[in-house]
Amino acid sequence: MKKFIYFAAIAAAFALTSCSDDDEPGSPDTPTSVDGLFVVSNGNYMAGNGSLSYYDPEAKAIYNNVFEAANGMKLGDTAQSMSIDGKTGWICVNGSNVVYAIDTDSYLVKGHVTDITSPRNALVINDKKMYVTSLYDNRITIVNPSTYSVTGHIEIPEMDASTGSTEQMIKIGNYVYVNCWSYQKEILKIDASTDAIVDRIEVGIQPQSIAYDGKKYLWVLCDGGGWDSNPIGFEAPSLVRIDLASFKVDTTITLAEYSSASNLRYYDGNLYWIENGVQRMSDKATSAPSAPFIPSTSYGLYALDINPVNGEIYVGDAIDYTQAGLVSRYNSNGALLDSFTVGIIPAGFCWKLGK
Amino acid sequence: MINPLSRDICPSSGRHYLCRAKFHYNSGYFSSSEPARRFASMPLLLFFISLFLFPSAVVAQNDTIDRRLDAVTVTAMRPLSRIGLQYSAIDSAALRDNISLSMADVLAFNSSVFVKSAGRATLSTVAFRGTAPSHTAVTWNGLPVNSPAMGLTDFSMLPSYLIDRAELLHGASSLSRTSAGLGGLVDLATSPADIADGTDFQYVQGLGSFSTLDEFARFSYANGRWRFSTRAVLSTSDNDFPFINKDRKVFVYDDSHTIVDSYYPEEKNRNGNYSDFHILQQIYFSAPNRHNLGLQLWYTGSDRHIPLNTVDYIDSREYIKLQRDNILRAVASWQHSAQGMSFSTKAGYIHHWNAFDYAVERSPGAMNWSNATRTSSDTYYGNGEWGWTPRPNIYLSASLSAKYDHVATVDHAALAGVNSYNKGRCDIGSSISARWQASPRLGLSTVLRHDVAGSDTDAPTPALFADYVICPAYNLTIKGSIARNHHFASLNDLYFLPGGNPDLQPEHGWSYDFGASAKRNLSPSTSISASANWYDSYINDWILWLPTNKGFFQARNIRKVHAYGIEANLGFDSRFGRDWALALNANLAWTSSINESQPASPADKSAGKQLPYVPKLASALTGIVSWKLWSLQYKGSYYSRRYTMTSNEETISGYLPRYFMSNLSIERTIPLRSVSLSAKLAINNLFDADYQTIMSHPMPGINYQLFLSIKI
Repeated sequence: MKKFIYFAAIAAAFALTSCSDDDEPGSPDTPTSVDGLFVVSNGNYMAGNGSLSYYDPEAKAIYNNVFEAANGMKLGDTAQSMSIDGKTGWICVNGSNVVYAIDTDSYLVKGHVTDITSPRNALVINDKKMYVTSLYDNRITIVNPSTYSVTGHIEIPEMDASTGSTEQMIKIGNYVYVNCWSYQKEILKIDASTDAIVDRIEVGIQPQSIAYDGKKYLWVLCDGGGWDSNPIGFEAPSLVRIDLASFKVDTTITLAEYSSASNLRYYDGNLYWIENGVQRMSDKATSAPSAPFIPSTSYGLYALDINPVNGEIYVGDAIDYTQAGLVSRYNSNGALLDSFTVGIIPAGFCWKLGK
Repeated sequence: MINPLSRDICPSSGRHYLCRAKFHYNSGYFSSSEPARRFASMPLLLFFISLFLFPSAVVAQNDTIDRRLDAVTVTAMRPLSRIGLQYSAIDSAALRDNISLSMADVLAFNSSVFVKSAGRATLSTVAFRGTAPSHTAVTWNGLPVNSPAMGLTDFSMLPSYLIDRAELLHGASSLSRTSAGLGGLVDLATSPADIADGTDFQYVQGLGSFSTLDEFARFSYANGRWRFSTRAVLSTSDNDFPFINKDRKVFVYDDSHTIVDSYYPEEKNRNGNYSDFHILQQIYFSAPNRHNLGLQLWYTGSDRHIPLNTVDYIDSREYIKLQRDNILRAVASWQHSAQGMSFSTKAGYIHHWNAFDYAVERSPGAMNWSNATRTSSDTYYGNGEWGWTPRPNIYLSASLSAKYDHVATVDHAALAGVNSYNKGRCDIGSSISARWQASPRLGLSTVLRHDVAGSDTDAPTPALFADYVICPAYNLTIKGSIARNHHFASLNDLYFLPGGNPDLQPEHGWSYDFGASAKRNLSPSTSISASANWYDSYINDWILWLPTNKGFFQARNIRKVHAYGIEANLGFDSRFGRDWALALNANLAWTSSINESQPASPADKSAGKQLPYVPKLASALTGIVSWKLWSLQYKGSYYSRRYTMTSNEETISGYLPRYFMSNLSIERTIPLRSVSLSAKLAINNLFDADYQTIMSHPMPGINYQLFLSIKI
């Protein structure tokens, strides 16, 4: 169980990029407005009290437990992430081994997918195909999002099943890039048309999150293994830059040893991540910043995202992990604007983009 | 009914008694012990049916030997060792209520402690006075049985039929026996007093809802020097009780995969089946010159599937979620008394092997293992006690104990080293105590303990107890105590990877108790008793697992808790004429357990709030009405709302609603010439309450059990 908690503690929000459609390298869609922000809260392991909140930035209004209120049932155990495709939100509920599809306006369930081990993140490829990553599995599950049924798997060679892990996904052009996090070291490159792993590259220990600069680089945040007797190894966390053209590691920036780094995001020429607060670093930098952009003494910072329209920074704080979490909103200069209370352990943000 | 005069053969040492009060003692039934083995081979059920269809034909032959003893008044001996203590003894009738009960069930209905469980044969913990389950010390025949890995005890693994005596020592009172019980001590024992001279055999069979089968057999033999007893319990169940799952829905799709309907499904408890086996061997020898030897061996073999919670979809495929345990507990004891002194030693050993497997079907026939954890723990224990009674009203004692715990755990499904450690620790404990009956009304007692855990030590734990009889006619006594206690970290807290913290300090704090009790014989056949106690305790450096900036949870001395409240008990016993009897026992606890830690951050709303899963109000009531050979028993318990979040949110998932649980049973005893028979029908959850004690874990609705017993 402790292992599970550890996984849940490190793996935070699902990649922002899965909420948008980055079709071609160098020309990502740039949203012009956002309607709101979904906040997925883990809840406590085995308690089945994961929840979904919806925040309206315009009205500064937070609506908690919207899934439960709309559907008359619980969201489930250890809700992990949400991604949006059109009017459908895909919520991965890790501990319940289910992926729910909901209407993003009414929050009503449209369908659900089972037969997936510990689902972590979902990425819709097209009307007939969706990838779902997993913990404790060495496969990425292929789902038909129209029928809510599993249609196949992408096997990952040389990855042990019981300690297998695939985490976040970013689709760039015809390829899907996947970080393999728990007890892993690799980034996968998958041809989305053939579902074949066409390349893989080793980065640092436990690549926890990935972010695309919208041009030519994929950034990877490696947590370094977390503790010094981790059997996969232990090292200082690092930022790794991969040149997508060659799919080679281009740059590695070492972060402070024994620090907990997670939730890498990219916005407007800067990288953001959680590490003793919120760090910000120019994508041109060659070394890590000496001080946090937004300092914090909380050990409960657990989720991070950037408003794609105005650059406001949202930080989820799990506090003591057994009370309602807090989401704080900062402007692009790092000044606190306001905060609001959500569910237990806010873990994932997902933007509902405007038209 | 335990004969109070039989305590002189109780293996516990240091129990010196002073005549201070009287109480009323009701005898039970007696019958001839002439064996009638012709019944032994008959199927119990058929035999009982015939008895109930034609009772007069069978029972009539026994009319001449079956009779009750009239109530008698005997002089009770209040031990010096209980001066000022807040304790409650579980009635032996509660322990023998029915064979399906674990100690968790017994305590839930017969005490004020909070029992947290996800149903039968699931991890069931007990917490006193707003503390954690690990703060409840548990001993069996003096042997500490808390898990050295987790620090707590699973009371669902302790069948009540294997326990002859159970006492709760609340708060500081636990220091009279051991340290570490910040909340209190549950002292369990088997006893040679329950082994009557001659040969006895008892067999009980229980048939219950959800394909539940409970079987108990006991054989005992005793003569002047030797006492033997062998007991075995086997419990199996599908445990697939039905319930309406309101936590998830079944969706009905049309051909275009659009949801057209949904409903709450009627489900069965998934993966709840279990099989538990226990065998307990007791051997006692009373040598000349007051040398008493004892040996108790208890083996437990358990296979328990872990029930799925209400929101889990893992069962769309084949899966395994299974816990297995093999436990051996052994205690050997020697006790001697001479010339005002008593000596005793104990040697104990516990081996506990635990396996947890969690696997899901990856493809047809191939399982993907997430967990294959194997934990092996061994405990070696030795204890020596010396007691001296220099005067009839003074008792002095000293003790020294040593315990070595070793835990090795590994998860074979994970990479080598994950969740694995192999560590041991030696704990040394010593104590001195003095008890003084200063006057016929005033008793004073003090205990000083000192403990060393591995290379860690802590300040000594002193305790001072006092009681004073205000009104002898009502046995109205006030009592109080002041004590410091501590609890050392478990081996998981110290060494679990990742997050174990070898630098943990012991949890510690002061506690204060004050209360009063009274007992009055209203008539030779009616008595009433009452007690109320207020307590106030502080626990510092409470160990919690919290996130760190290293990216994983780590055990830390972080919390400061102020727990205070009231415990009250009311008892009533009466016999009406020769045929009727009534017994009532009610317990109530009002508990305030407040987190007084500094907020972890400005957003932390847990400070000043009630700890999660600690009910403000807990109460239990048992009532037994007996008429001739029949008895009707009611058991009820009530728990108020329990918050599930440290911030005490009033949201949907912020608390578990209060609930009231009722059980009813009716029993008929059929004493024959040489055989005693009984049949009992029990109705559990009488009002079919829909409740949960752990969030998202269903509990059974109304269900039934039939118990048939034969005693030769």
